[in-house]
Amino acid sequence: MESISRISSLLETARDLTLEAARDASNARKTSTQMLPSGQLKKLLDSRSERDVLEGLKRVVTMSYRQPPSQTLPFFTHVIKNIASPSLPVKKLVYIYLLQHAEHEPDTALLSINTIQKSLTDTNPQLRALALRVMSGIRVPVISQIVSLGIKRGVGDMSPYVRRAAALAIPKCYALDPNTEPQLLEYLSTLLGDKQFFVAGAAVAAFLEMCPDRLDLIHEHYRSLVPKLIDMDEWGQLATLRLMMVYARKCFPRRIKKIRKINSNPKSTSTTKTTKGFYDSESDSEESDHQDMEDIVILDPDLELLLKTCQPLLQSRNSAVVIAVARTYLYLGTPDYLYTAIGPLVSLLRSASDIQHIALYNIVQVCLSHPEPFVNYYSHFLVRSTDAPHVWRLKLELLTLIFPYGPPRLQSLILAELSHFSHSGSLDPGLVKEAVRAIGRCSQSSATSAKTSARCLRLLLAHIGSADAHLVAESLEVIRHLIQRDPENHRITVVRLAKHLDAATSAQARASIIWLVGEFAGLDSENNIATDVLRILAKGFADEAEPAKLQIVLLAAKVYVHHINANPPPEPQKPVEGEPSPSLLGDFQEDGGFRDPHLESDHVQNTPEKQLEKPHPVEALYNYILFLTRYDTSYDLRDRARMYRALLATPTSTQLASLLLLAPKPVPQTPSPSETRKGYVLGSASLVIGDEGGIGGLRGYDDLPPWVKEGHEPDPRLREETGTTSVYEAGGRTLSAAEQLDAATGSRGRVGISTSPTKNLNGIDGVSTVTSSSAKERTLDDWLEEEEDESEEETDEDEEEESEYESSEDEETESEDEGEEDRLVK
Amino acid sequence: MSAVEALYIFDEHNTPLLEHTYAGRPPSGSTVLPLYLAHPSPRPSLIYLPDTNPPTLLYSIIQDHLLFLSPCSKDTEPLQVLELLHRVADALEDFLGSPLLASKIEGHYDVVAQLLSEMVDGGIIACTEPNALRDVVEAPSFMKNLLGGVGLPSSTPSSLTPSATPFSLSSRPSPRLSPTPVSQSPSPVPWRRANVRHTSNELYVDIVETLHIISSPSGRPLSAISNGSIAFTAKVSGIPDLLLQIGCSGGVLNTVSLPVFHPCVRLNRWKERPGDLSFVPPDGRFLLCGYEVDLLGPAALDSFSTSKNAKSAPKLNVPATVSIQTCLGSSGADFEVRLQLNPRFSGKSSSPLPNSTGSSFSGRGGLGRGIGGASQGTTAAPTIEELVVHIPLPASVKNVADLRVAKGPGDAGYAPGDRSIVWQINSREVATLMSTDRGGGIGATATLRGTVVGQADDDALDGGPVSLSSNTYDYDDGTSLSYQSPSDHAAQATDTTATNAKRIKQNKVLMPSCATVSFSVKGWLASGIRVDSLAVDQKRSKGLGAGITPYKGVKYLCVSRKGVESRC
Repeated sequence: MESISRISSLLETARDLTLEAARDASNARKTSTQMLPSGQLKKLLDSRSERDVLEGLKRVVTMSYRQPPSQTLPFFTHVIKNIASPSLPVKKLVYIYLLQHAEHEPDTALLSINTIQKSLTDTNPQLRALALRVMSGIRVPVISQIVSLGIKRGVGDMSPYVRRAAALAIPKCYALDPNTEPQLLEYLSTLLGDKQFFVAGAAVAAFLEMCPDRLDLIHEHYRSLVPKLIDMDEWGQLATLRLMMVYARKCFPRRIKKIRKINSNPKSTSTTKTTKGFYDSESDSEESDHQDMEDIVILDPDLELLLKTCQPLLQSRNSAVVIAVARTYLYLGTPDYLYTAIGPLVSLLRSASDIQHIALYNIVQVCLSHPEPFVNYYSHFLVRSTDAPHVWRLKLELLTLIFPYGPPRLQSLILAELSHFSHSGSLDPGLVKEAVRAIGRCSQSSATSAKTSARCLRLLLAHIGSADAHLVAESLEVIRHLIQRDPENHRITVVRLAKHLDAATSAQARASIIWLVGEFAGLDSENNIATDVLRILAKGFADEAEPAKLQIVLLAAKVYVHHINANPPPEPQKPVEGEPSPSLLGDFQEDGGFRDPHLESDHVQNTPEKQLEKPHPVEALYNYILFLTRYDTSYDLRDRARMYRALLATPTSTQLASLLLLAPKPVPQTPSPSETRKGYVLGSASLVIGDEGGIGGLRGYDDLPPWVKEGHEPDPRLREETGTTSVYEAGGRTLSAAEQLDAATGSRGRVGISTSPTKNLNGIDGVSTVTSSSAKERTLDDWLEEEEDESEEETDEDEEEESEYESSEDEETESEDEGEEDRLVK
Repeated sequence: MSAVEALYIFDEHNTPLLEHTYAGRPPSGSTVLPLYLAHPSPRPSLIYLPDTNPPTLLYSIIQDHLLFLSPCSKDTEPLQVLELLHRVADALEDFLGSPLLASKIEGHYDVVAQLLSEMVDGGIIACTEPNALRDVVEAPSFMKNLLGGVGLPSSTPSSLTPSATPFSLSSRPSPRLSPTPVSQSPSPVPWRRANVRHTSNELYVDIVETLHIISSPSGRPLSAISNGSIAFTAKVSGIPDLLLQIGCSGGVLNTVSLPVFHPCVRLNRWKERPGDLSFVPPDGRFLLCGYEVDLLGPAALDSFSTSKNAKSAPKLNVPATVSIQTCLGSSGADFEVRLQLNPRFSGKSSSPLPNSTGSSFSGRGGLGRGIGGASQGTTAAPTIEELVVHIPLPASVKNVADLRVAKGPGDAGYAPGDRSIVWQINSREVATLMSTDRGGGIGATATLRGTVVGQADDDALDGGPVSLSSNTYDYDDGTSLSYQSPSDHAAQATDTTATNAKRIKQNKVLMPSCATVSFSVKGWLASGIRVDSLAVDQKRSKGLGAGITPYKGVKYLCVSRKGVESRC
């Protein structure tokens, strides 16, 4: 979702004018906060009037943002003196100053600790939370024990705000003094089980910060944390989803069952989820008919609970949450779950451009492994003229990734799109290049049909006529790749390219074409154009540019080698010499069938006669080209010519020359640009940066842990909540997963009905995704009802807070009775 | 996990406004700014700086010309940090007033400091909900400046913002002995602050849609997406429970796709009855919902046929479209841009609109809040405003000669060296243009002509033309030339016009490849979505006095920011 300020800027047309005016005025605006001399400022801070103190503090805070700390440090004592002030605004500003400067004056800062400690027992929860936050934020290691005690007090506080501050203070205290870890872990464990979701969310964040490996602390809270996910704030959701990804990988072994494809009804998959032994025996027995078997992932009920709870989060306004859910589904869930996340992922493209950019990286990452579901969203990936280079690069990649899976219409659309950007004077040379490459990738993809490939090639060939040098060079490069991948079917393409030599003027383009002709010189010897091309090129050799000349010499050498190999010179004393070379060539063009035995014999018969009269035209051409190069200005060219001459000096021994000149070229691979990032976890910064940040990701990058092996996972009974009766326990272990889940969703669905009359439809649906979000509804409605209760018993205020806390506790612990109880209260 | 290490804000001249460090020892703002600026523009939102110590990931957003930077030394979720930066900008705007200006930040460092320290605690993002922040941070107010904060007890309820009520001072429960103020009991709804009081109860719905349309050279729309946002402004006392029903002629479920919601919206209600948004709003302005509408419909792909049957082309109701023709004239250096305005948006209320039924809006509030002047456009007669046509040019274009508006009004601007031509037509000129429309449903048109001038030396070595044989391998006609057949020797001799053809070919590279239109239309939405009703559920609402019906207002706005694009 766009941020509200961006939307309001659309709504308020006068806003741009205001900004303009502000920009003009900004040079003259420095007058608004003029500096006071330090003596006067100190006087303000020492004043008895609260108003003066506040004014002084504001000025000091302003200074601290605008100037280095050396400027504001002289006021340290004067500011700290006010820490005991009864005024909350004064206190807040003192705290802010203290946090910024405590490190520079640790000793004086210690003096303030006592006062802050007193604030921990203040009646105002806001003040208590503030004090706890400030105390833990002072980076003076000696106070670690005091901070730890403060946290202990905060953990037991009845205000959730204070408990949240305590949770957030835990990693800070740990950073101060790692020795406090045992106590801190104890507090953390309590807070992880907190009933208030924003406390639990903060506790999870603290857990990840402090000890992400202590998964043993999570077991008992797993089943209470997951349902709370939906009600946490976005940042708590992010932390929890991150934790759960690691937890699930380490605690739920991946069970895969093979079932027949035909009768793959979901019922059988879930009912047979039982023990390991059963699974083993089944897989053994069914191994015989392997091909019509399908792998079905059996989800642990606890894991399934997590996956289902996540579903409403896909409609979160926070893009990071959407990515986190997609990540959970990609790495933990089944493709069915992932497909539900595709639409929300694509919807991130309508956010602000900065978010759009990062989201595209993640979409590409998902698309690399699951391209099909993205096909329907093709219209979001069309490149707009306003897109920045880093955005269109990814969009073009997406188009090529979905290309093989689209219907023919879509394929034409994508090709038209790509060719639009590759010609017609596009704005950015980089875009031209990338679009041409994208066409190449489209045609290379294994899923593309031959007909479509031919169409891509036709598109590229059309570009050779363009006036844009970048386009021609890039197109030829891609054409070359395409031809090399499948030389057999592209003989005529080469002929066609050779025809272009008449017109192509770009040296690079000519060189590229000549090289291709040379590569194909050996194919289909009776109908080969290489010699002819060489003949024509030899005429204009002197006018060629150097890259083209180099290729012409190479072509001449290749043609000559082929000629010698095809017509071994008649030297009867060494028949063995001539024999191996054809076989070498035969290896090179395995199924080329470049000459027939009878033709060969024909040649052999002919050659002696020709030899007598004059040299064969090929030989003459070769010698002519070498002769020309001897007088060329480029010594690189002369050197090469010399090398070929030496290599082909004796026509009888061409083995080495064949090896050098006719070596089979490796088929060029052009993977999708993002393939290099494929190893990085979805949603991480390493995915965006790529290998630039160092192989293996940036600092702090955690790779996805592998699935725990069957039998090595922690006992699932650890997850059973100790205090409450879990719905999972109710039926005993003999229940199937589906039944357990039905029981769980059913019971919670009933709660939804009883609390709120609007939920009736949900109950009928019985869909658990709906029910999980109904948990949110229920709590909200309960708050509202609480609020009503609160207003009734406004007599005792301390009691009020207490009772409210307790009732919210009740609401979480008792799952079924609670509805009726609420009725009774009413 | 420690996501946020510091936050730096710079003004439009890149002078530092603010540096706030949360955790660790991140490189300072003065270190990272030059490295950020060294990156060629447009700069991505995440830049890796390997040369700092420690190597740093730099996140950046630009909001209202202010640059927000956040360095980070560890791998975190990038979107988490970027979302936070947006929320910081939103919160600052909420507290300091819109738009966010450098001078406002400079004048209220004390408030900014409190906000920033509340939002992130020790590097962990703690609280970003504007209403929750209102509970703990006092917004700067005129009233407080007046009184100077003297004598006000520490427990001043933060709901004493000017938006509350001028009488709140007297109605404050001052004689209380217990110093626990009401605002400090936690709000029961996390996104709504406690004890909201307003004297005038008002509810406003603003639906904004942003158009993104791409048309192929033949004029056929390739994609047409309208991104909608529902901004809601709630100024209602107590805890109101609202039901907003949006409707659409084709059914909401078929129209609206991929919605996202503010956490306050009850998802079940939407699932049961799409179009119903039931929620307890936060106080103040917020984004209720975001959605998108595919104006072409799901069957768009099938209508792309190779045969050029215009009848199958999907009909779009775009207020203004543009088409561009290139390679005109004898040397092929001219181009022509045609702007076409849809007659529906002439501003004459005589043409009744199918979607103007929203005027049967319940409540005593009227439509079109705050729309001053009749010429501004209403639901019944929407008009086009702020019409601008952008024509981006390739880098090789050195100048545009003879640029003129051939027909119709407006100013076309281009300075040699610019990368685009800007053609602006103000609202009055649009109205004049519209009045020239003779009816017949075609609408008014205007044209712009120009001639591109490229590099002086045509025979530059590298950029040299690769003019080729006259074989044109046009992929469009596909079948006419099967390239695999070596038999086609269409090598017609280049005739006398060879040199001219060569020049046309060169000029082709210089031609613009697309044109975009920007505009805004008040009172009309491309998707046809409208607000059917907005009701306060009296039974479920708390604290709203009996019999009080809030004033309700609805506003529709459809904008295109270079969003309507035509290729050529």
